[in-house]
Amino acid sequence: MDYDVVVIGSGHAGVEACHATAKMGYKTLLLTLNLDSIAFLACNPSIGGTAKGQLVSEIDALGGLMGIMADRNTIQRRMLNGSKGAAVQSLRAQIDKVTYHTTMKEVLENLPNLDIVQAEASEIIVEDGKVAGVLTAQRIRYNCKACIVATGVYLNSKIIIGDYIKDSGPNGFSNASLLTKSLIDLGFKIKRYKTGTPVRVHSDSIDYSNLEVQKGEDNIQNFSYMTKTPPSNVINCYLTYTNSRTHELILNNLDKAPMYTGLITGEGPRYCPSIETKVVRFADKDRHQLFLEPEAMSTKEIYIQGFSTSMPSDIQRDMVHSLEGLENAHIMRDAYAIEYDAIESTQLYPTLEYKNVSGLFMAGQVNGTSGYEEAGAQGIVAGINAVKYIEGNDMLVLGRDTSYIGVLIDDLVTKESSEPYRMMTSRAEYRLHLRQDNADLRLTEIGREFGLVDDDRYSAYLKRLDNLAKISDILNARCGIKSDLAKIFAEKNEAFPSSGLSYAEALRRPCITIDDLLTILPLLNDYPYQDLKEIEIQEKYSGYLSRQDIQISQAKKSENVKLDPDMDYSQIKGLRIEAQQKLNKIKPLNLGQASRISGVSPADIAVLTVFIKTLKTAK
Amino acid sequence: MVNNTICAISTPIGVGGISIIRMSGNNVRDIANKVFSCSVSVYDVEPRKLYLGTLTTSAFKEKCMMVYFKSPASYTGEDMIEFQCHGGVKLAYGVLEELVNSGARIAEGGEFTKRAFINGKLSLDEAEGVIDIINSESDSEIRAGYSLMQGGLKSGVIELQGKLTDCLAKLEVNMDYPEEDLELETKQDVCRELSEVKDRLVSLNSTSKTGMCIKNGTKLVILGKTNVGKSSLMNALLNYDRAIVTDIQGTTRDTLEETYEYKGIKFSVVDTAGIRNSSDIVENIGIEKSKKAINIADLILFVLDGSSNISVEDREIADLIKDKSNVLVIVNKTDKGVVLDRSIFEGRDVVEISAKNGINIDTLKERIYNLVFDNNITSQSVILTNIRHIKIIQEALDLTNNAISVLNSGVNLDLLSIDIKNIWLKLGEITGESEVEEIINTIFAKFCVGK
Repeated sequence: MDYDVVVIGSGHAGVEACHATAKMGYKTLLLTLNLDSIAFLACNPSIGGTAKGQLVSEIDALGGLMGIMADRNTIQRRMLNGSKGAAVQSLRAQIDKVTYHTTMKEVLENLPNLDIVQAEASEIIVEDGKVAGVLTAQRIRYNCKACIVATGVYLNSKIIIGDYIKDSGPNGFSNASLLTKSLIDLGFKIKRYKTGTPVRVHSDSIDYSNLEVQKGEDNIQNFSYMTKTPPSNVINCYLTYTNSRTHELILNNLDKAPMYTGLITGEGPRYCPSIETKVVRFADKDRHQLFLEPEAMSTKEIYIQGFSTSMPSDIQRDMVHSLEGLENAHIMRDAYAIEYDAIESTQLYPTLEYKNVSGLFMAGQVNGTSGYEEAGAQGIVAGINAVKYIEGNDMLVLGRDTSYIGVLIDDLVTKESSEPYRMMTSRAEYRLHLRQDNADLRLTEIGREFGLVDDDRYSAYLKRLDNLAKISDILNARCGIKSDLAKIFAEKNEAFPSSGLSYAEALRRPCITIDDLLTILPLLNDYPYQDLKEIEIQEKYSGYLSRQDIQISQAKKSENVKLDPDMDYSQIKGLRIEAQQKLNKIKPLNLGQASRISGVSPADIAVLTVFIKTLKTAK
Repeated sequence: MVNNTICAISTPIGVGGISIIRMSGNNVRDIANKVFSCSVSVYDVEPRKLYLGTLTTSAFKEKCMMVYFKSPASYTGEDMIEFQCHGGVKLAYGVLEELVNSGARIAEGGEFTKRAFINGKLSLDEAEGVIDIINSESDSEIRAGYSLMQGGLKSGVIELQGKLTDCLAKLEVNMDYPEEDLELETKQDVCRELSEVKDRLVSLNSTSKTGMCIKNGTKLVILGKTNVGKSSLMNALLNYDRAIVTDIQGTTRDTLEETYEYKGIKFSVVDTAGIRNSSDIVENIGIEKSKKAINIADLILFVLDGSSNISVEDREIADLIKDKSNVLVIVNKTDKGVVLDRSIFEGRDVVEISAKNGINIDTLKERIYNLVFDNNITSQSVILTNIRHIKIIQEALDLTNNAISVLNSGVNLDLLSIDIKNIWLKLGEITGESEVEEIINTIFAKFCVGK
C-alpha cells in the first residue's frame, strides 16, 4: 500500500501532522495504537495557559486544528496574567476531554486523503538514506515518501505507582515496545524521561462548601480566529490547599516514593514537579495550591491539578483525605508516574527532519517536550515540512521573532536538555511581538504561502487587516485643546499638550484606553472589539516594540549568515575543542543558531565569522 | 585569515638598545628556518628557551636571539617566534622585510591581541586592558590597565549582571506562574535590587573622571593676570625652562602645554596668556584661548602676586571662575613679602609659593595631586580608564534609572522585564557576553601593531 506520508501516533502532534499533510492534498496514513486514544488529553483537562495559549493561537493561524477544537470543546476559560501586560496574557481553557477526543476523531474520519489504521508501528524502512516505508507489528508494510514519528510518551513506557510497575502507556492504553529499536538502529540517541499525573476523584464525594470557587471569564478572546460563537462557561473549578498533615504524610513515607527510592531514574520536569518533590524542595512553604477541575461534562471525574505523585496507592488515599473538602473523597484513578523513551532532539534540523535520514520527521513528546500545545505545534510544522520534502521545496523554519513555535523548535534542535521542555514566555526574547492577540497577523500569511490556510480563513484575515487599517486612520486624526479628548484628559487629571495630539498618541498614555475613545468616537463601534483592542496594544507598546524591532534586525544579520550542514568544524583551528565538538554535533544552519549553542562562546563565533569570510574570499 | 602568519616589530621604533620582532601563525618555524640558524635546527628548538644564532637578510647578517612559543602556550595561542636583535630602525625593518619575503605578512593594528582574544586567551575587556598598557606612559595608568587585565571590571560587571538576572528571574516566574499571585512582593524585591545596581554603577561611573585623568593626563590650567609669574610657575613644576620668562607684560602670547609626572600620574600644564585689557590683537586671541582652557581644565591654578594688592584684572579673573569648584589659588612671590587682601579667594584652597626661588613647589604638587584624585586611586580597586567602558557604564546607569522610573510608574511586568534585560545586555558589552560584532571590530581597529 502506497502513501505519501505515514504518521505514527495520533496524539496532539500526530493529529496536527496528518491533518496538515492530508489537507495539503497528500495521501496520508495515520497509524495509531488505539483508535480510542486519538487526541486524548492524558493528563490535565485543559488547553492553553502561559505561553501555551500563544502556541495554540499560532497553530490556529497556520491553519491547524487545536485552536478550533479547543474552542469547540471549552467548558470554562480564563485569561491569565490580565494585569501583567498583553505580551504575557494567555488564554487557558478547561476542555471536555471526552468530546475533544470524539470530535477530533470525527474530523479526521471525514478528512479527504486521510486513512486511519489501528496498528503498532515496528520499523521505519529506510532505503538509500531516505524513508521508504513503515512496517507494523503485524508485518504489514506501508510504503511512503515521508514519515512523521509522533509517538508521544508511548515508547517503552512504564507506569509507576509506589512499588507497582507496569509496562503500559498512559491511562491503561498499551505502550509501543517495538519502535525504539528501529530508532536506535537509525542512529537516534535515546533518553529516558519521566512525567506524572494526579489522582481523579468522584465529584459527588467532594465537599465543596468551604472551598474557594474559581469561575470562568466571559468576553475574552478565543483560541481560534475562526470561532464565531465564543464558548460559554458551564462549569466551575475549585481551590484547595495542602496542609501540614499532607506534608507530614509525604515526608514520613518518602522511603516508599519511587522518586526517592531510586525506582524512577527518568528525568522529570522541574516546572511540573510531583507533590513529594514540591514538599521536599520547598520545605519552607506551609501549603501548596491545588485546583479541582472537572474532566468532562459526561463524567463525575475530577482532576486534582498540582497533586501529581507516584506514591503507593494506600498513601495516595491518605494524602487526598488530608485535604480540605476531600476528607471523604472517592478515588477513581490513582496518580502515577510514567517513564518513556525520548530522542535527543539536537539530532534534528530546525525543520524537524532527522539529520541522518531524509524524509523522516519527528514531532511531539518523543522529542522531549511536555504538553499538548508544544506537541501540536511541532506536529503542524512536521506535517508542512513532510509535504515540502516530497515536493522538493524549501521547508518551513519559523523565526524566533515570529512565533513561539519558532522559539520552541530552535531551542529543541539547538540546546541540549536533560528534562522535558515546557514552553514559557521567558524563553522568547521577543515576546512583546509574540502575543496571543496578534498570532494571526504574524502567521496567517506564512500558513497561506505553505498551503494550509484556506480561503475562508484567509479572507477573514484580510478583513481584519482592513479593519485595523481603517481604525488606525480614524485614530490618527488630531485633536485640539477644545476637543472631547481634551475633556477626557481633564477628567483623568492628565496634562493635555497645548499643541494637541492624535487619538493614537493619546492611547499611549497609560490612563487612556480604547474604551475611553469609544465614548467619543462613535465610528469605532463599526469594528469588532478585538480589532480595537489590537490597535490599543500596538499603540501602548509602540515604543518598546520599535526598540525590539532594532534588536530583531540586528539578530537577523547573523541568522542570515548560512552555515553548511556538512561543514567539519574540527578543521577550523582557533575554535576551542568544546566548540568544535558542539558545532559538529548540532550542525547549525546559520550563525545565529550557532551562537545559541551552549558551549559556543562569542569568541568562537568571532572565529567562525572570520572563517566564513575567508571561505567567501577564497571562492 | 586566521591561519596566516603575521609579523611585527613589537618594541617602540628607534628607542632602546634591543628590538623585538615577533611572528605568530602556523608557519613561524618554516619562515624562521629560512632566515635564522643556530646550534640546532629551528624545528628542534625547545619552546620558551632563548637560542643565540645568526639572522641572515639580503642586506646584512645579524647576531640575535630567538625564542619559540609552542601553540597553545603563547600570547596569541598560536605558534609564535620572537627575534631579539640590536636596536635601530634600519635593522628592525630589515629583519621584518626579510620575514615578509619569507612568507609572513605585516600584522594589522591589534592583530596579535585579536588572535589572542579569538583563541580564548583573553576576554574582551582583558584585551582592551592590553592596549591600554601598550599606550600607557606612566605608572598609574599601568596600574589601572593592569587591574582591568586582571578582570577586575569584568568580575564587577558579572556580579551586577547576576543581580539583574535575579531580578529577571523573579519577574519571569511571576508571568509564567500567574497562579501563585506574587506580584506585589516581586516588585518590591526588584525595586531594591535595582537601586543596588544603580548605586554600584554610580560609584563605578565616579571613577571614570579619575580614570580619564590617569589615562589622558590631568590638565592643569595656569590662570592669572600678566606678570604674576605664571611662566615661572610652569617652569618650576616642569623643573626646566620652557616658557620665556621676562619682566615685560604679555611675553606669553599663546597657550603653552607641557607635562610633568608626579606619583606616577601625568600632569599636563597649560600656561595661558595673562589676562589684561589689551589692544594688542595677538594677545587678545591668547586671552580667548585662556578662557577656553578654563573649561577643559581638571584643575585651575589661579596665580596671584602676593607682593602687590588685588587689581581690577585679578577681580575680573576671579569673576570668570567664580562658578568653578576645581580651583587652587597660588599666591606667588612670597619671597617679596605678602601684602595682598585674602578676601578674594575666601573659601578656596590656597598654596603660597615662590616659583622663582622654588619655595613650596613640592607642597604644591602634593596639593594638586590630592585635589584631583581625592585618594581615589588607592581606595578604588577598579578605575574606569577606557572611554568605551565609561560610555557603557553611563548608558547602563541611564537604563537603570529608566527602569526604576518605569517600575514606579506602575507599568506592566512584561515591559519592565525588557528594561531590565536591556541593562543586562548593555553590561554584556564590557564582558563580551553579547554578540555585537561591531564592538569587536572597533576595538581591534584601535590596537597598535604587535602586543
